[in-house]
Amino acid sequence: MRLRNVLLAASAWAVAVTPVFAEPRPPHSRPVLSSDEGGIWDLLDRAELDTRNSAELDKDPVLNAYVQGVVCKVAGDYCADLRVYLLDRPYLNAITAPNGYVEVWSGLMLRAETESELAFVLGHEITHFTENHGIEQWRKARAQANVAMLASIVSGPLGLLAALGAAASLSAYSREDERQADREGLERAVAAGYDAGGGAAMWTWVIDEAKASDFKKVREGPARASIFNTHPIDQERIATLTALAKGRPAGAGADKAVYRAVIRPHLASWLRDDLRRRDYGQSLYLIQRLSQLGTDMGVLNYFKGEAYRLRRGAGDDALAQAAYEAAVTQIDVPPEAFRELGNLYVRAGDKARARTAFESYLSRAPEAQDRWLVETSLKTLEGT
Amino acid sequence: MKRLIVALACLAMAACTTTNVKTSTQTLSVPKAGARVLLVQPDVQLSVLTIAGIPEPKADWTNAARDNLRSQIQSSLAAGNHPVSNVKPDEAMEGKVGQLLRLHEAVGLSVLMFNYSGFSLPTKPRTGPFDWTLGEGAQALGQTYNADYALFVYARGSYSSAGRKVAMVGAALLGVGIAPGSQQAFASLVDLKTGQIVWFNMATAGPEADMRSPEGSKALVAALLKGAPL
Repeated sequence: MRLRNVLLAASAWAVAVTPVFAEPRPPHSRPVLSSDEGGIWDLLDRAELDTRNSAELDKDPVLNAYVQGVVCKVAGDYCADLRVYLLDRPYLNAITAPNGYVEVWSGLMLRAETESELAFVLGHEITHFTENHGIEQWRKARAQANVAMLASIVSGPLGLLAALGAAASLSAYSREDERQADREGLERAVAAGYDAGGGAAMWTWVIDEAKASDFKKVREGPARASIFNTHPIDQERIATLTALAKGRPAGAGADKAVYRAVIRPHLASWLRDDLRRRDYGQSLYLIQRLSQLGTDMGVLNYFKGEAYRLRRGAGDDALAQAAYEAAVTQIDVPPEAFRELGNLYVRAGDKARARTAFESYLSRAPEAQDRWLVETSLKTLEGT
Repeated sequence: MKRLIVALACLAMAACTTTNVKTSTQTLSVPKAGARVLLVQPDVQLSVLTIAGIPEPKADWTNAARDNLRSQIQSSLAAGNHPVSNVKPDEAMEGKVGQLLRLHEAVGLSVLMFNYSGFSLPTKPRTGPFDWTLGEGAQALGQTYNADYALFVYARGSYSSAGRKVAMVGAALLGVGIAPGSQQAFASLVDLKTGQIVWFNMATAGPEADMRSPEGSKALVAALLKGAPL
């Protein structure tokens, strides 16, 4: 019995530490249908069909062509293997599945400040694809589960040791995948002509935004590229990217104004979605960062006001009012800024300014759905 | 001895395909002769159980089972004097038709949940009438495909890998039991005038009804459509 335990534990250990590599994939390759990879592709192909009919899908042809273009530049030979889907989701995320399905979330598009930052993230994701990290992780997890099960049958400390060994090798492995994706993603972006500074810049403000969160858990926990990403972004990754970028000639895609022009048509709707996360600390940090360029100040100040209005903390009314007042002096102000300002003036007892604000709203948005409501407010103001 | 008998009984129960039919008691509008039936491509997903029991999708099995089930259902329907048309959800996921196909998936899985598992809804007691509908919006499906009824088949299942089979034997020697794979399917017949599910059956496949083979599919379809008003 003792001998059997030892033998079983030994075989379990062997499974655990045997590296289960998935080869980097050649372009335009499809796995054999009967393989594990073929099964996963089949499942992902069906998930992709669902996405095609998703209400979250952003079908703007201009934006789609733009992102697919950046993907193709960074992906090189793999361009034809990757299908990009833009999803209206206010979190920073992009996913590349092993079958070439690529999700780019609006939260990433909104947060990137330059095309080179976007190119770095896409390069990171494309590296996961070309290196077949997803399949590699699956095979590793499968081996680990097998070992854990064998270990649970084999009682005693040896079995437990084998299971622990498997768990440790899995997490070390996925951290290495992330580092490789950072490194090679940056190289891909640079090879496509992009500025090398995008990587470090991107991860730096991801950490800063996490620190600005309303929630203690987010502030004090490790920063993550998305709520689903299990691999924290730390100073070590930023230092590595900074070192990699050092001494390289300036590349393309580092102009913030050019990138802003691309996302400008979506800026307001993406900011509105961002506020739905109800993390006003992060939203305000983001708006502050986006404001440094000095353009779009009507939209940005309006949503700054919205963040304060929705947060409803002590003194937030005054902060919201200041933000709306800054917004209404700008040419790109959303009409709603006048309505919100009117509501704040009503509350402060300033009827004259409230009336002017409501009238401005109605003249700028004559077809507004809530026109009747604002007209009622105006009548109430006249009656008092 | 008692244990052995229980074990044998369990084996005997697992050894054949079992089914459980539900019929609408609301509107018994069963298809008349010549009623046109729309066969929705069976929704199948099969997987292999790894040693540890993690289901890993198997595309070749899934495709084979989907084709087998479709052709077996087709020949079964042909015997019943019903003109049959086909629709592949992959090619019809847009618009109202796509929404109805997805709605049926949601309703069908709800039937499984509330009529076949331990759960029940306060509004649909298990002893009460079988009353599930897609609503009259289902007419859009009938109009688009020129059909009076739609037949949906949904199958999920797993089969043990060779490694798991070895582990089962090895673990048994150590006195530990490891569960093998299992396969379930349901069929649902929808009246496309009213949207009502007029007939529903759930089958658990026995070893003779392995849907990966044409013969196994034939056995599974025979059990699944047994007593269907078609």
